[in-house]
Amino acid sequence: MMRLAAALLLLVPFSLCAKEWTVDPASTLSFSGTYQGEKFTGHFGRFTAAITFDPASLAAAKFDVSVDVTSITTGNADYDEQLKAPEFFDFGKFRQSRFVTTAFREGDNGLVADGTLTIRDKSRPTQLKVTFTPAGDGATLDVETTLKRLDFDVGTGDWADTSAIGNDVPVTAHLVLKPKG
Amino acid sequence: MALKSDSRQWGLGAQLLHWVMALLIIGAGIVGWYMTDLPNSPQKMKIYAMHKSVGLTVLALVLLRLVWRWRDNRPADVPMPAWQARAAHAVHVLLYGLMLVMPLSGWLYNSASGYPLRWFGMVNLPSLTGGQDAALKSLAHEVHEWGFYLLAALLLAHAGAALKHHFIDRDETLARMLPFLRRRTAPAVESAPAATPIPSAASPDQSPESRP
Repeated sequence: MMRLAAALLLLVPFSLCAKEWTVDPASTLSFSGTYQGEKFTGHFGRFTAAITFDPASLAAAKFDVSVDVTSITTGNADYDEQLKAPEFFDFGKFRQSRFVTTAFREGDNGLVADGTLTIRDKSRPTQLKVTFTPAGDGATLDVETTLKRLDFDVGTGDWADTSAIGNDVPVTAHLVLKPKG
Repeated sequence: MALKSDSRQWGLGAQLLHWVMALLIIGAGIVGWYMTDLPNSPQKMKIYAMHKSVGLTVLALVLLRLVWRWRDNRPADVPMPAWQARAAHAVHVLLYGLMLVMPLSGWLYNSASGYPLRWFGMVNLPSLTGGQDAALKSLAHEVHEWGFYLLAALLLAHAGAALKHHFIDRDETLARMLPFLRRRTAPAVESAPAATPIPSAASPDQSPESRP
C-alpha cells in the first residue's frame, strides 16, 4: 500500500508538467491575401516556436512563437519588394513578430488559444483555432486564424484602401512536433 | 446618318467604332508611356488598372469592329495612285493587327507577371499563363513595347495621310469618316438602285444624304 502511494507520489510531478515539444523544420507558416479581387498566398520561411502542450492539461499549455518577418515571400518579386516598405512590414524597423498564448479553452468548434500577437509595434489580442493530432511519439499542430491587416498597420496610408488589398488575411500554421529531450 | 455605311460615306456604326477606339487607343498609349516610370504607390496601381481596363475595352471593340466591318458596306475607294492605295491598305491591316496584338500582349504580360486582371474594378479576367512565367513575361513585354512604337508610327502615318487627302488632295477620305463635314463634291447624279448593299460598291449612291 505504502509502495503504491510512493509510486503515485513519484508520478505527480510528471503529470503537472505538460509536454514540451520541438518543432520540426518541415513545419510551415502560411497566409493568404487578396489583391484586386484575386487571392495570393505566401509564407514565412523562418520562425521559432516554443510549444508546451498536453490536451489533458490545458492550464499548463503555452505557445511562444517568434517569426522573422523578413523571411516573408509571396513568390511574386514585386509583391515581396513592396512588403519590405515602411507602409507594410518596414524591415528597417521591425524584424520580429511574436505570438504568446495567455489561455486555452474549448470553443464552439474545437480548441481555442487566446493570446497576444505583435506585428510591427502593434499588439492585439488574437484567437487561434487549434487542432492537436498525436502521431506516434510526436504530433501535428494545426493552427488557423484570420487577421485584419489594418489592426497591425500593414499597408497604411494610401495602401489602406481595402478595395485594392483586402483587410482579411487568413493565416495557417502546420507544425510537426517531436518530443523534447 | 445611317447606321450602316453606303457607297459614299462610312455609317454611324463604323464612325463610332473608329473614333471611340481612336480616343481609347491614344489615351491608353499616352498613359502607358507615362506610367512605367512612376514610383510604386496605390496611385500607380490605379493608373495601371485603368490602362489595362481601357486596353481590354479596345480588345472587345476591335473584335466587334471586325464583325461589323464584315457585315457592313464599304464606301467606294477614293481614286489615288496604286502605290498609295497599297500603302493605305498595308497600314490598315497593320493597325487592325496591332489593335489585337497590343491588348493581347498586355494581357499576356500581366498574366506572366502573376498579377490579377480586373476590368474597371468589376470583373476579373483569367490568367493566360496560369501563373508566373519569366520567359513569356519578357517576350510579352518586348512585343508590347515594340508594338507601341510601331503603333505610334502607324497612327502618325494614318492621321497624316488623312490630313493630306483632306487639305492637299481635297478629296473625300476624311470627310466620309466625319459626321459633321460637308461633302466637298456634288454627288454624281446617276440612276443606280438605291440601298444595294454591295461591299465595296463603286457606284455612288442616289441621294446625297441617305437617312435611315
